[in-house]
Amino acid sequence: MRRAAALAMISWLFLAVLAGLSCRSPKGSLPEPTRDKHAPFNYIGTKGMVVAAQPLAAAAGLDMLKRGGNAVDAAVATAFALNAAEPFASGLGGGGFMVIYVARTKKVTIVNFREKAPAAATPTMFTEKGERQDEWRQERGTAVGVPGMLAGWNYALKKYGTRSLTQAAAWAIEIAETGFPVSATFSQIDKDEYEKLLKNAGEGSRYLNGGIPFEPGEVFKNPELAATLRLICAKGPDEFYKGEIAKKIVAAVRAKDGIMTLEDLAAYQPVEADPIKGTYRGYTIYTLPPPGTGGLHIIQLLNVAEGWPLKKWGPATPASIHHLSEAMRFIFADKDRYDGDPDFVSIPIGLLTSKDYAQEIRNRIGADRVAGQYSTAKSDPVQEKKENTTHVGVIDEEGNIVALTQSINDFFGTGIVPEGTGFLLNDHMADFSTDPDSPNAPRPNRRPVSNMGPLIMFKDGKPFLSLGSPGGPRIFPSLVQIIINIVDFGMSLDEAIEAPRFFTYSSGGKARPIAVEPRISKATLQALEKLGHKITLKDPYDKYFGGAQGLMILRGGKLIHGGADSRRDGVGAGY
Amino acid sequence: MRERRAMKLFIICGILAASFLSAQAPQPIFEQPLLITSAGQSSGDAQIALQLAKKAGLTAVLSKMAEGKDLESRKTLVLVLGASMKGMGSAGLDANKEKERIRELLAEAKRKNVPVLAMHLGGEQRRGELTDEIIGEFLPAAKMAVILKTGNADGLFTKICRGKNIPLIEVDKSLDAVEPLKNIFKRSSSY
Repeated sequence: MRRAAALAMISWLFLAVLAGLSCRSPKGSLPEPTRDKHAPFNYIGTKGMVVAAQPLAAAAGLDMLKRGGNAVDAAVATAFALNAAEPFASGLGGGGFMVIYVARTKKVTIVNFREKAPAAATPTMFTEKGERQDEWRQERGTAVGVPGMLAGWNYALKKYGTRSLTQAAAWAIEIAETGFPVSATFSQIDKDEYEKLLKNAGEGSRYLNGGIPFEPGEVFKNPELAATLRLICAKGPDEFYKGEIAKKIVAAVRAKDGIMTLEDLAAYQPVEADPIKGTYRGYTIYTLPPPGTGGLHIIQLLNVAEGWPLKKWGPATPASIHHLSEAMRFIFADKDRYDGDPDFVSIPIGLLTSKDYAQEIRNRIGADRVAGQYSTAKSDPVQEKKENTTHVGVIDEEGNIVALTQSINDFFGTGIVPEGTGFLLNDHMADFSTDPDSPNAPRPNRRPVSNMGPLIMFKDGKPFLSLGSPGGPRIFPSLVQIIINIVDFGMSLDEAIEAPRFFTYSSGGKARPIAVEPRISKATLQALEKLGHKITLKDPYDKYFGGAQGLMILRGGKLIHGGADSRRDGVGAGY
Repeated sequence: MRERRAMKLFIICGILAASFLSAQAPQPIFEQPLLITSAGQSSGDAQIALQLAKKAGLTAVLSKMAEGKDLESRKTLVLVLGASMKGMGSAGLDANKEKERIRELLAEAKRKNVPVLAMHLGGEQRRGELTDEIIGEFLPAAKMAVILKTGNADGLFTKICRGKNIPLIEVDKSLDAVEPLKNIFKRSSSY
């Protein structure tokens, strides 16, 4: 009797435990409710503000501002920090452009530190590789342009900053040594580029965790990058361009069949240039001249848009999307025809940025049809896949502003890491044309055309907006949409950044589909299809359309709004 | 009488315990060599699957555009679920063509009696409308699924696998999938 009771007791106990274990067996749990990262949010500052694509980098810039550094010091500190914290988008192995507004003199200037082709480059260096030319343009040593990043940062600091390279690099060193938990964005990009990293950086690379891409939350450290930065701080930029680091860069490039030499690195110099200027409904825009052609086409597209009643049409309506899409297609035809390095090629900037020429384009756009033919001599394939690059915006207490866009081109660049240095080499040679007869064909010492377009916009002579974005060929269409959202549709800065985007272009004179974020209503998309457009759906917040960062200066500079794109990990940091 | 009833209950518990334990420990039901392909051209995820297979000591090849003929001499088809617009663009495919490729591949696998192991290694980031369509259509063809837990936060995999009696193994991170892979594949001396 007692035995039976004991057996029954054991059995019931067992069943209870079993039931408990069964409940623990694989079963999904609902995610914790979190703040919607896409909800428009304007960061607020009254003295200064930094916006960047990674929180640690923005914090580095803010700290520099709080310690008395100016906007250029903070921009360079942020840029260095991005090499450690967002290494897949920019770094020492790349290049970029900086738009600087000096409040004291009320002047805008451009620092161009875009990569250059090695002296041995030829117009046919890629086409002669036949069907495998994409690999030679993106993943082999031939893809690497001579990096301008460090020279550009150093130039800007020396001429417009107040701090040393060592002071600007301090946060980057700390981030690289201490490490940080990677974000979902970092993890996804690491996975997307895994094949390239395995091939060029190797299974033991810092950019992989035990030979596998990082999962969100795993800690990424880069002590080799920290050591490289310490070496540069101790010996100066010449260590990068003429010293031991230069030797490692050339060795890594040539080991992958590249053509760069020590002489190419030693000869690299950034250049300072005047901005190009445009106007839009009473605002004045200063942005990059070629080879940063994003700026040129921003002004061109705004000129065309100025002739239309966009405010009446409203945002994301069939009329506004149709007209702007057609304008983008005509401008891409011009882009194919004219874009190149202005040091070597004549570009009709005056014509392309004139209001008369914008009227000519408007005249060719019908309200109720797709033109279907967009005159162009030749056509470069638009690099659809590009989502990379990064943008930093800074304003300091004196009102100095920096809009800085920098890149290693594709995410993780070539995936080539010079031995023991921890930084990635760019694949910006891929930005040269595939057509050997193009003004943008690779030639010795030329800078490839860039889509970047950091800008500063003024109202009544006072800074109002600073803006920039990654996104390859989507940069100028995305930045124009943000400006229109603010100026015509009255959106706040971050509302304008988060609003649904679209993009199209022409290729070989023919219309390409309009890529849209599906937050644009189905009725609008159906109306566009009726007009003859083809539609391609992207993700609702797709980094295909870039990751814009902006600053808006309000109340005579007493209030600063920062907007940072949730399509990446953008944040603002103000005080 | 009461003792007999208690004994019966005890025996039933024993049977339940045995079946429960066997259900918890994955059994070696797949054979080598493996053919790995992505359903949706998330080529990075497929590359991870290949690397995990190598770490598990398995013989595997990765083919981004695998077709039925690639199943010759392959004893398991590993389908890495996840759509990548970038990947499809690089492969010159749209979603319809990619789905058609997978349908044909699965039909051939069925004809050749090659079992399918489904994997989802992109986590939460590799979910979305198209990926969910791919999961919904192709996961039911699997004999087992190995996934990153973060990709199943809404229980989609759990729901489909329960409905189709597909054993589901969830891991916290990709590298944790190596041990389950070792367990679910038979050791083979011929490879």
